[in-house]
Formats: sequence, structure tokens, C-alpha cells
Amino acid sequence: MDLPGYYEYYCGVKIIAGHDALEKIPGLLQDLHASRPMIVTDKGVAGAGLVDIVLGAVKDQLTIGAVSDDVPPDSDLRVVNRLAALYREQGCDALIAVGGGSVMDTAKGINIVVSEDADDLMKFSGAGALKRPLKPLVAVPTTAGTGSEVTLVAVVKDHERHLKMAFVSYFLLPDVSILDSRMTLSLPAAITAATGMDAMTHAVEAYYGLSKNPLSDATALAAIRLISGNLVEVTRNPADREARLAMANAAALAGMAFSNSMVGMVHTLGHATGSVCGVPHGACMAILLPYGLEYNRHKREAVMGELLFPMGGSDVFARTPKEQRVDRVIAYIRQMNQDLHDASGGRHARFFKEVLDREGKRAVARERLPDIARTALGDGSIFYNPEDLDYDDFLMVLEAAWEGVALDPDRIRK
Amino acid sequence: MNILREIQPSSKPVKRAYVALMLWFVGRAIEAAARVDGAVKAEFDGLSPGFTFSLGVMPQGPMMIVGKDDQGLVRYLGWNPEGQKIDLKMKVKNLEGAILMFTFQESTALATARNRLIVDGEVPAACAIVRVLDIVEVYLLPKLIAKLAVKRYPDWSFGEKIWNRVRIYAGAVLGL
Repeated sequence: MDLPGYYEYYCGVKIIAGHDALEKIPGLLQDLHASRPMIVTDKGVAGAGLVDIVLGAVKDQLTIGAVSDDVPPDSDLRVVNRLAALYREQGCDALIAVGGGSVMDTAKGINIVVSEDADDLMKFSGAGALKRPLKPLVAVPTTAGTGSEVTLVAVVKDHERHLKMAFVSYFLLPDVSILDSRMTLSLPAAITAATGMDAMTHAVEAYYGLSKNPLSDATALAAIRLISGNLVEVTRNPADREARLAMANAAALAGMAFSNSMVGMVHTLGHATGSVCGVPHGACMAILLPYGLEYNRHKREAVMGELLFPMGGSDVFARTPKEQRVDRVIAYIRQMNQDLHDASGGRHARFFKEVLDREGKRAVARERLPDIARTALGDGSIFYNPEDLDYDDFLMVLEAAWEGVALDPDRIRK
Repeated sequence: MNILREIQPSSKPVKRAYVALMLWFVGRAIEAAARVDGAVKAEFDGLSPGFTFSLGVMPQGPMMIVGKDDQGLVRYLGWNPEGQKIDLKMKVKNLEGAILMFTFQESTALATARNRLIVDGEVPAACAIVRVLDIVEVYLLPKLIAKLAVKRYPDWSFGEKIWNRVRIYAGAVLGL
């Protein structure tokens, strides 16, 4: 085992997983000395009837102080402040976040304001600014991918001042995360596929990144095994409750892995592509993951080869000679993207020139690739990538990912 | 066993002095490299006017401060943060972590990966400064050691590297 000379690992989130896990919320809140939670969600989640399912599961045993579906697609400081005021007015004593990353971030922002009795959220931005536990927070993820139900980060945007504030603290970890299959049953195929590949990327990058450690390895491998066995299946058959629950578990496991081992160049380029061209994060991850493996291969050959075991199973792993395992891993990921493309009726993109915006136009114009490469130079996730990348390297990877061709090994500088 | 005396943290004066010397030298080398190396100059040109950063050891130093002056020239601004507006603070969590970094047993990237370094400020600026530190380390160190300090050793021409190295050493040591 590749044991690091030093590492840190922490995951202080209680995980409750099952087909009927939501029903546990009242008892869990009671354990946390809370009895009047506020539910925070967005209109998409509420419109899909997911808040009604949560309410149905808890209303007999719990008084809900307030329900707000005001969270925008991007977390917003004004919304945080408005919902914090609502929390106080209604005498709430805990938060239940039902949704994806933006809802989780907003709930964490509200929690800082109400717990610290703060008038300026900015005072608590950065790492280590929070010094004490916050109000109880229950996370109920409605996608299986982001892993934000087990992460210690919140990002809140101040749209008036064009600022993006990041908050990092162990106190931002939810007290409890509820993984319930009912929360993802209605997720469309393309979103299921993209968010699932986001989780796969968290696990894979955590496994070969500079911060890998035995504990995050364990959760990463378990996540990869679950995703490999269930993602294509659940995209083909969205009503498969077992596969839905498996993916919810996989996303949380991958979240535990990457929140301790961090991520690398796939996320660096994914963040930049999202920022410049508005491509959904999961789609970027699916497209870029094979390139992260190809680019870093010379630094992580042995470690990457190990991924064939959870992806292909013990027989495939045993039958494949050591020197061919990374090739098989990369081929496996590309085949997975192809299968997801087919299972989603072509809506899961395999390369950037295939990504369409809401109007059906190409979302990533080839001439924007230099802008994306420049933006990537300022993303902190690159610190954790095994190999270095400069502007030319980023551009080389982007051009290949746009066309959908493999990287030329001779062009990778070592 | 009864403990009868209070145990004070050791000040580790030799290690502290070594890290202070290295920070002084690297700070002056960055100033020199910004005059000599196009990539270092370009990184600083991309930062805001008057941009200043510090690299130091928690909790009490040592520290180095480098920033851009009114003309946009890069200057080593000493070790004392008092009265200086610092945009980016990079802090190694303790002296032992700094020793690992400055004896090149750990690269800047690995130190970050092992959570030894705290960055307080804009992340894009921190990325630029890490790239600057990598370039400066390649100039200052023999290849064998520099390869431990950076992820990828650059493929510069031998002549260019040696000529720039001489000029950076002259700038850092003699202030030329």
C-alpha cells in the first residue's frame, strides 16, 4: 500500500441510509436537542414533490417552523440573510436542507448567521474563522453526486459586489445526512448520469491525488464499486430503488474521500469550463475524467491500475496484466460515458463539442478553450494534482476533450 | 509521577534561524527573478497593482514579505508585517513543517496536500505565487534537489538557466 508519511482525515457526519431513512429525522433532531426545524430547498426540488415526501415522513412527530423554497441555482448572500431572518422570526432551532449543492451551501450560510448572531457573513469567510458548533443541520441530498452532504465547505455569492465567499470549517459539516432512495427516484436520466460521473470523479481523483490516504482510499474504492455496478443501470431504469440507494451511498462515500483527499486537474478544468461556458459540473467531470487519468498516468501508474478491481471486478483484474490495467481503466470510463450517452437518449455528452446549452446550441465554442485554460490557472484544486500543468498543458487537454480524442502520450511533458 | 514544573514550548533557535535565513534569501531571489525571468515577471504583472504577499511560519514567524511597488516593480519588503497591507498570507502551520519545506523534503504542493500550509487571500493569486516559488526554487537549487521541490522540472536550455541563475544569485546575495 502507498502509505503517506503524513495525512489527516475527518468525517463527523452521521449517515442514515435506507428506503425509509427520512422517518428517522424527528428522533435524530431530538437527540440534537432541536424540535422546530426550518426546511430550506429550491423551487425545482419543491416542484418535484420531494419536500412533500419529507414533510409526509416527519410531520406526525415534528413541528416545522418554516419552509422556504427561495434558494436560487447559485447561492446568494441576500437570500441567506433573508432566510436567516425568517428562521429567527419563526423561532426555529435547526435546519433541514433538502436539495443539491446550492441548497446545502445556503443552509450552511444561514446556519453561520443564526448561530453566530452575525450581521456580516463575510467575517466568517476563509478557513478556521468559525470557533464553535453551529445549530443542528440535517442534509437531505436530492441528487447522487455532489457529496456536499458530507463536506465542510460552503460557497455563498455576493452578487452585488461580485464576490464569491468560501467558508471552510469542520463546524459546517452537517450533523446528519439522510440518504433516502425516494429523494432521487424522479431525477431525469441525463442528470442522473452526469451527477453519478461527478461522484465517480470525486472517488477516482481522491484515489490517485497527492493527498490520498488509506481512509479516503477505502471510501473511494467502495464508491467506485457501487457506481460501476449501478450508474448505467439506474440511468436505464430510473425507478430502480436499490440502484438509487446504491448511488446515494456512493455519492456520500465519494464525498468523504474527496473532502479529505481533495481533487485534481479534472476539477480544475471542470470549474473553469463551468465558469467560462456555463457547462454543468457533472457533464464536465464525465468528459474530463479519462484525460485526468491519461495525463497523470506516468506519475500514478500503479495506483491507477488498482482502480480496475472495483470497476471491472476480480476476474477482469486478475486476467489483465499489470501494464495494461490503466488502459483498461481509461477504456472503462470512456465506455461508461458511451453507455450513459445511449441510456439517456444522447443527452449525456461524451466530449465538449457535444454539449448543448438550453437553446440547443453548442455550449463550448472551440475559440473559448484558451479562455478556459487561462481561468484554470487560478483554480486551487491544481495543487493536489500529481503532475504540473501550465497554460499549454491545459489547452492541450481541452482540445482533446473538445474533439473527444485520447491524449497523445508524446505531447505529455514529464 | 508528579510533574512539578511547567513545560514551555521549545523555541528551536537553530531551526528558526535556518528558516529565517531561507525566507530572507528566497524573498530577495524573487525580487531578482522578477527582473530576470519572463515567466516570473508575467505572473506578477497579472496580479493587482500594489499586490503584496507574505510567506511565514505560525504563530510568530519568521516571515518574508514581497510586493509590487508604485512602478509595478517587485520588491522584497523585509520580515516585519507591521504597517503593511498584505493581500495574500501564506502561513506554514508550524516550524517543523517549514523545515520540511525549506530542506526540500517536501514540495510546496505536497505541503499543501498535507495541510501544512494555510492560504489566506485570493486563490488565483496563491496559484500564481506558488508557480513563482517553483521557478525560483529551480534557479536556486541544484537539479537533484530542485526535482524534489517541484512537480515537474522545466526543460529550459542549459545556457539560459545558468545565466539567469547567476543573475538571480547576484541579486539575492549582493543586491545587484
